[in-house]
Amino acid sequence: MAPRTVAPFGPQHPVLPEPIQLKITYEDEKVVNVVPALGYGHRGIEKACEINEYPKNIHLCERICGICSCMHGISYCEVVERLWPMEVPPRAKYLRTIWSEMSRTHSHLLWLGLLADALGFESMFMQFWRIREKVLDLLEMTCGSRVTQSVSVVGGVRRDIDDEQKKICIRTLQEVRKEVEALVNVLATDPTVKARTVGVGVLTKEQAILLGNNGPHLRASGVKEDCRMLGMQAYGELGFEPIVETDGDCYARALVRAREALQAIDLQLEAFSKMPEGEIFVRPKGSPPANEAVYRCEQARGEVFYYAKGNGTRNLERLRVRTPTFANIPSLLVMLPGSELADVPIIVLSIDPCISCTER
Amino acid sequence: MGIIQTSQVKSPWILHFCNSSCNGCDIEVLACLTPLYDVERFGLVNMGNPKHADVMVVTGPVNYRTARVLKNLYNQIPDPKMVIAVGACASTGGVFHNCYNIMGGVDKVIPVDVYVPGCAARPEAIIDGVVLALQKLSKAVGVAK
Amino acid sequence: MIENLKEISKDTLLQEVQKFADAKARFVTTVCSDLGDKLEVTYYFNYSPGVDMVALRMFVGKDEEVPSISGIYLTAVLSENEMFEQYGLKVKDMAIDFGGLMLLGKDSPVKPMVKDNAAGGKGGE
Repeated sequence: MAPRTVAPFGPQHPVLPEPIQLKITYEDEKVVNVVPALGYGHRGIEKACEINEYPKNIHLCERICGICSCMHGISYCEVVERLWPMEVPPRAKYLRTIWSEMSRTHSHLLWLGLLADALGFESMFMQFWRIREKVLDLLEMTCGSRVTQSVSVVGGVRRDIDDEQKKICIRTLQEVRKEVEALVNVLATDPTVKARTVGVGVLTKEQAILLGNNGPHLRASGVKEDCRMLGMQAYGELGFEPIVETDGDCYARALVRAREALQAIDLQLEAFSKMPEGEIFVRPKGSPPANEAVYRCEQARGEVFYYAKGNGTRNLERLRVRTPTFANIPSLLVMLPGSELADVPIIVLSIDPCISCTER
Repeated sequence: MGIIQTSQVKSPWILHFCNSSCNGCDIEVLACLTPLYDVERFGLVNMGNPKHADVMVVTGPVNYRTARVLKNLYNQIPDPKMVIAVGACASTGGVFHNCYNIMGGVDKVIPVDVYVPGCAARPEAIIDGVVLALQKLSKAVGVAK
Repeated sequence: MIENLKEISKDTLLQEVQKFADAKARFVTTVCSDLGDKLEVTYYFNYSPGVDMVALRMFVGKDEEVPSISGIYLTAVLSENEMFEQYGLKVKDMAIDFGGLMLLGKDSPVKPMVKDNAAGGKGGE
């Protein structure tokens, strides 16, 4: 038997923009065991949400993660609205859906770029990020900021999209769709991409369910589950169907995300065409009452779980956030053993890890 | 003033380190390297190895666990070096100032040369910060600019 | 209001969780909160395929020990470690025990989420 070596992967590593450490045991080049070491991104946001007054937590929750920030803000508002419970106006629901899908588009394009980078496909990385800038421009035009949008408030949204902006959005999204489609075709058919991803990091359907995985990672293993099927916000009126692949390897996960990026653009275009006129905000009455609520939302990386407990004051008694990567990290313990050292970065990347989400 | 000093200012290599940041500034740092902003035209290259780097770009507030890693990386970068704190949290702790696991800004642990404001800092602001740091670096290595 | 909530005791926890594993449900997460004299622990599951969520809730004293469900659902190991770190809830036989240093560093405040702990609220508003 070859001697075993334990080597840390991270916390500062070229493929990872974020700090996570994996203590990996190797036998020659083969991985035999993995232990994740977290904590490099832990801030203590859940406690800070109990200290701050509830409207201020929106900004804090948006900074749980900068990539999924828009959907964190919306999820927080939705869970607090469920404490009363109160209903937001239909136009606000549509606006929330549009911004959610816009941030899903930019997040998936970001990930596809990072995947290309991890494969050494530099030009594709640059192309994906070039297209992504157009989506960020739309977010900046409609929300006022590229990364942390802060558009959602308890009771509705802060900004409206007027007709002129709507026209620009629709035109740009159609352009983006064409460009993404062309690139996705390259990604899906390129032999070098396939050579690195097909059959790498396989996770079966049974394993994925038992490990509690979620999001595109779960759907790539053939499980048809997506929180948007619950029909919250405006999804119930948009005829949404989840995208599923069955192979469960890195290639399937890339395909799911690539197709979801296109689907997100379609959903936005449909939402723009169906968006009703009307109010965008109702003022909440008093403070959140003593009650409990749960809200689940499909983010770009998977299902986020928000739990809130009110106590009748302007502070929350408890806020709990279970982010998608928190549930997806255990799957690395199953996927990595048996793989080669050179495939580790791709397998780690294939769960779309978001460490600042995980550790909050 | 030799060729090494001149090239250090002409083509500084960057080490990006993320503390417990929210990712917002990190993706903006990465966005600087991609076609729209493209800082590579100024000779800036993103490096994974601290011993290759001249400029350290730090995002996010320092927490009790990253403090050691940050100090370690800083000590591995050869002198003269510049540290840029990108974003409100890296500068002061920002929105996370009252979180229990946060020590504060990057300057609690290592000396910072340039602070870039914003939450998240815009790519234009980051490029501005890098240019400021280069001016400082050229003074430090004795190359007039 | 939490729908489909069932109150259990810590003695029947493992049997109840095994039922979910047999029914091929997905583990979602645990939520722990401090009620002053005791802790409230809630386990959330999700039937698969589908999006129905079910919750199991139990109340335990602050110095009591609860069994770990990581033998059934490995993925619960992260949230169990988190509960131990943040609230000091003792969990027996966790599959991976980080010893209180999963999220927190050596110098971080101890049991930061407990209500009467001064270390938890640093400054505030």
